[in-house]
Amino acid sequence: MSERRIGVYICHCGGNISDFVEVEKVRDAIENEEGVTVAKTTMFACSDAAQQEMINDIHEHKLDGLVVASCSPTLHTFTFRGVAERAGLNPYQYVQVNVREQCSWAHTDLKEQATEKAIYMVKAGIAKVRLTHPLKKTRIDTVPRTLVIGAGISGLRAAIAHSDLGISAFVIEKSDRIGGWVSEFGKMYPHNRLGSDLITELSEEIKKRENIHIYTEAEILTKSGSVGDFDVKIKVKNEEISLNVGSIIVATGFASYQPYEGEYAYGTDGVLTLPDFKELIDNSKGEIIYQGKPVKNVTYIYCVGSRDSSGEKGHTYCSRYCCNAAIHASLIANDVSSELNQFHIYRDIRTYGKYELLYREALQKGAVFIKFDEASPPRVEKSNGRFNVQVKDVLTFGEEIEIESDLVVLVTAMEPRENKAMNDVLKLPVSLDGFFKEIHPKLRPVETVIDGVLIAGTSQAPRNSAESVAMSLAATSKSASLLMKGYVELEPLIAMVNEDTCVWCGKCSEACPYSAIEKISSGEKEIAAINTAQCKGCGCCVPVCPENALTIKGYTDEQIRAMIDAMEVLL
Amino acid sequence: MTKVNPDFIKKVATSEEFNATACINCGVCTAVCPMDVELLPRKLFRYALLGLEGKVLENTNVIYQCLLCKMCEENCTADVHIAENVRFLRSYISKEVFKL
Repeated sequence: MSERRIGVYICHCGGNISDFVEVEKVRDAIENEEGVTVAKTTMFACSDAAQQEMINDIHEHKLDGLVVASCSPTLHTFTFRGVAERAGLNPYQYVQVNVREQCSWAHTDLKEQATEKAIYMVKAGIAKVRLTHPLKKTRIDTVPRTLVIGAGISGLRAAIAHSDLGISAFVIEKSDRIGGWVSEFGKMYPHNRLGSDLITELSEEIKKRENIHIYTEAEILTKSGSVGDFDVKIKVKNEEISLNVGSIIVATGFASYQPYEGEYAYGTDGVLTLPDFKELIDNSKGEIIYQGKPVKNVTYIYCVGSRDSSGEKGHTYCSRYCCNAAIHASLIANDVSSELNQFHIYRDIRTYGKYELLYREALQKGAVFIKFDEASPPRVEKSNGRFNVQVKDVLTFGEEIEIESDLVVLVTAMEPRENKAMNDVLKLPVSLDGFFKEIHPKLRPVETVIDGVLIAGTSQAPRNSAESVAMSLAATSKSASLLMKGYVELEPLIAMVNEDTCVWCGKCSEACPYSAIEKISSGEKEIAAINTAQCKGCGCCVPVCPENALTIKGYTDEQIRAMIDAMEVLL
Repeated sequence: MTKVNPDFIKKVATSEEFNATACINCGVCTAVCPMDVELLPRKLFRYALLGLEGKVLENTNVIYQCLLCKMCEENCTADVHIAENVRFLRSYISKEVFKL
């Protein structure tokens, strides 16, 4: 007989479970299982009253294992781990059985079989809990310093925000000056302030602070350690410097799409990309002159390099910033010379939020918007020194119209920046679009799978400067919440090496996506060792081990076998 | 292929009396028109906004066919003053084409 004392609670979930699974029958079937001391059903296991009842039972019956058969662990693992903890039971001696999503909801038409399945699922849960051991979270003391990679507007703003919170920031920048793209921009939307002024303001702010250090012509060489305590080596000009930081913020920015030769006549004088056109108008006064000739008509072609559904020549994604940027540029051009005629040839205009005002203003000032279909893109031809842009207007049901222009502006995409050397060190995942990937775009928008490494600005996705800064501040608050507490606690459900059987073949280390396994010597032989802070418990290393020397705590082979045995009906 | 005439845009589309930029091309106006004029008014206004003077003049007859009954204006979802716009186009044609 097992000496374990296990409490089992089967939830009705109002009716979500009990309408299809006969929970009383399940209770009757498992109450005599080995080790089960308490077996109860409850209307809502997650309710305060039910939680209190569990706590009382744990005290009264001196329970050392808890099983709750209810909903998905994603929803309530932490709820019931909390119950265990409050009752003085180790939270890792709790097992959740998902009889809602994986049973009652899935078998609404087979009630009898659903009940039978629920019984076996709960039996498996009990078998697993019998083999649990108390586990402790790993605690790591954090250092109150951060490393910001990239001194563009996002990076600089993140550094200042860290400094405000009392966290030192080291900023490394590949080029020989700070400010990135924004320092080269003239008037920016929506505030119409000069990009160069914004950067000057930030750099003045930085000069006032002693806890921000900026290294230009610098790059990252190596990174070791883990969340809260990274050791980083950087190269500044020809000098190597070692830094010890608690978090890393990646704000490496974007690259601008270069149209290929001949794309809308690109390569001919007078066909400009949006950044080139912006530079032209930023330096114009009273009149726009291009190569000695005054400009009267300007045609903008949108989505160049973006939203290419074949993905062969351009990118498949929408670059988000360009509708607003192009319309804002056209308003500035209009300020320079109100005589200008401007034609916007677009596929879809997305001047989202308050940027709609820019679109309204452009319309009022006489800009013409012409919608084209991806299947019949505009054609650009040069004759007698002017451009002839031919386009099929969708809104007049395919009327073919012709626009004479002096300049053709290609509204180009934002691209991910090539950063191989850095990413060989950081090993950040990239999305299908080639930008750095967050864990979840809505729920965990600045975190990456590497704990303590956060992403901000346009290194993550195309966006404008205001959105980039917002994300860099989000990354700052995430970083600060890690570092200001002084320590981080990490899940103990990670890999474990059996030192007796391990012979260090290195296969586990190759399989590990988080570089968490390294070679150490133990007595006379070499074995694998797990970096407890880096291991995520994904289990990739377990099946590749030829000696079966690896196992995941909380998911040991022994437990999994016991669970299968408990479901003997399925064998 | 119709050429865009920027001067026409200046004279018509940006004039304060002619305002069709709010048009969302829904087609309610065309559907309720008692004269059953397919062109009126959304396509016509679109020609005007795009600066396609040739296309507008080509349809002079249609522009004068309108009863100015305001059925379309009453039903317009974007509050475009359709009848006023038609009258504006008529006055433009009278001046520029018929030299009245």
